[in-house]
Amino acid sequence: MLEIKNLHVAVDGKEILKGIDLTVEAGKVHAIMGPNGSGKSTLSYVLAGRDGYEVTEGSVVYKGRDLLAMNVDERAAAGVFLAFQYPIEIPGVTTMTFLRTALNAQRKARGEDELDAPRFLKLVREKSKPLNVTDDMLKRALNVGFSGGEKKRAEILQMALLEPSLAILDETDSGLDIDALKVVAEGVNTLRSPERAMVVITHYQRLLDYIVPDVIHVLSKGRIVRTGGKELAGELERTGYAEFAA
Amino acid sequence: MTDAARNFIETYERERAALPGAGLAWLGARRAEALKAFAEAGLPHRRLEDWRYTDLSRALGGATLSPAPLPDGAVVLPDAAKRASVAAFHDIDRHVIVFVNGRLRSDLSGTKLPAGVTLMSLGNALNSTWARPLVETKVEAQAGNVIALNTALMRDGIGLHIARGAKLDTPLHLLFLANDDGASHVRNLVRLEEGAEATIFETHLDAGARNYFVDHVTDVSLGKGAALTHVKIQDEAADAIHLASLTAELAASSKLSSFSLTLGAKLSRSQSFVTFRGEGAEAHVNGATALSGTQHGDHFCIVDHAVPNCSSRTLFKTVLDNASTGVFQGKVIVRPDAQKTDGRQMTNALLLSRDAAMNAKPELEIYADDVQCAHGSTIGELNREAIFYLRSRGIDEPTARQLLISAFLDDAFETVPHEAARDDLRKLAASWFERHREKTA
Repeated sequence: MLEIKNLHVAVDGKEILKGIDLTVEAGKVHAIMGPNGSGKSTLSYVLAGRDGYEVTEGSVVYKGRDLLAMNVDERAAAGVFLAFQYPIEIPGVTTMTFLRTALNAQRKARGEDELDAPRFLKLVREKSKPLNVTDDMLKRALNVGFSGGEKKRAEILQMALLEPSLAILDETDSGLDIDALKVVAEGVNTLRSPERAMVVITHYQRLLDYIVPDVIHVLSKGRIVRTGGKELAGELERTGYAEFAA
Repeated sequence: MTDAARNFIETYERERAALPGAGLAWLGARRAEALKAFAEAGLPHRRLEDWRYTDLSRALGGATLSPAPLPDGAVVLPDAAKRASVAAFHDIDRHVIVFVNGRLRSDLSGTKLPAGVTLMSLGNALNSTWARPLVETKVEAQAGNVIALNTALMRDGIGLHIARGAKLDTPLHLLFLANDDGASHVRNLVRLEEGAEATIFETHLDAGARNYFVDHVTDVSLGKGAALTHVKIQDEAADAIHLASLTAELAASSKLSSFSLTLGAKLSRSQSFVTFRGEGAEAHVNGATALSGTQHGDHFCIVDHAVPNCSSRTLFKTVLDNASTGVFQGKVIVRPDAQKTDGRQMTNALLLSRDAAMNAKPELEIYADDVQCAHGSTIGELNREAIFYLRSRGIDEPTARQLLISAFLDDAFETVPHEAARDDLRKLAASWFERHREKTA
């Protein structure tokens, strides 16, 4: 699904990622853990195609295609989805309008029919319910005035609607209390499937109690310094990142 | 004096005997006085504070200023597929009145109106007692005497009188088409007696003409508790100059809602002068502007709180692409007696290009102490983070930009009380993006 080789990325001329190698197979959930400033968010942004992240070396192949050669919306239409750590507020664009525009843009890019209003409404209702996304939230401007929990639930709703092949979740647990975390984790777990790969980026082990990964990588100073099974999370929780930060 | 100003004076000398109301002594004196005021001041230029950002004098230098001819034969409307403004208001049940080259072409007697509603030509209106105070507008000398120019030269227009308690059943749609080059001087007079209600739509667009000058004045007088909704679309030709003024006097508890959408013309200036004459009145003066190329669009707005307990709201949203220029000059005046005034004024501009420029000058002039007034101005660019966010969900960049621009303008459209008209304005804005996208692609 995703094959990252020797990826070097610089921001404002400063090298942040210093040779990442990572292979994620369909059906697997990989967690990337690491201290602040280790390059976790940089990795997620460079995969989504954000401006200002310069790839100086290495390659990223997604479903056999050169991901780095694709622009932001092409990547999305091809099934790459980034759940933002800090979802952007968009005044004046209702959540409903946004969801419909996004879904139909992707369907169109893939050569599928656009969904008409009734079919779309039915689909949104169906996907919103388990995530406690209310009609009121759907009518409000996207993320404007949403609580931290509402923003993250809205991200997972987008993911549920757009059904990506590769989902990258950037610090989805940040700013959530335990109840909100459970709802979000449940939403993510429902989307686990043999055709879908997930990369879960987190600072804390807590999220991984609810979204149990197949593989855990530790990122430190722009490199993956350790890879292991799900038991690695508990170990890190006990020892902290001190040994990697040193 | 500039050639353009001299041209207008010569037009007056040559044609004054043929102008509407020529037999009326008071009007003859009024026109002569207005012409004198205009001749002394000349065309406004940038050394006048009210015209600091818009050089009308210079723009008119290259324009065709002799009166546009009386149209002959059929006028072909632009293709609605290419010019969406042709279709605006089309699906709303309404009375349509057509002007070509600034001359009334509709047979007003054919318009079936409810009891108490009288629609007449400017010439007939000038013979009515209600019209005279409107033409003797107090704000004429303001903002560079351009209303005086219209008073001297006004050639055609309509008078709308609505008797006490009467209502115009469906909106009156005034469609102004420019078919030939030249100048047109249109004056519309609107008087709503106590408790009367009306909605007026205006569309200005070219149907054959290229280089022309529209000089348009609408004088409104609202009686006690009367309510007027006014929605205007300006989509003139790329080389046209459009100068429009709205003057409004509001009696107690009356309500004015005015909205103008500015899309066209090489240079346009839209002026509003609102004066509160009675307590408890309410004025909404709003607009949206979308310009590209080297277009120049100016909104000038003065709201005069001359009496207590009135409220005013002004919101102008401007989107500027390429090397276009936007101007907003607004002033809220609160006179010494006007306690409990609630006045708000806001202008927001969105620059889509490095070469676009916005000049905003919101002003408050407050002489009373127990008032609530606020004003503000913002000028910004599209949020790059927001564009990235939308694109990361598969929305292509032009669509993402269009979504954000529409959202920006939508606050202004929201102020239009007529729902179907509001939807038409939104559609027009969307078609502007499409037209614009094709041009820049």
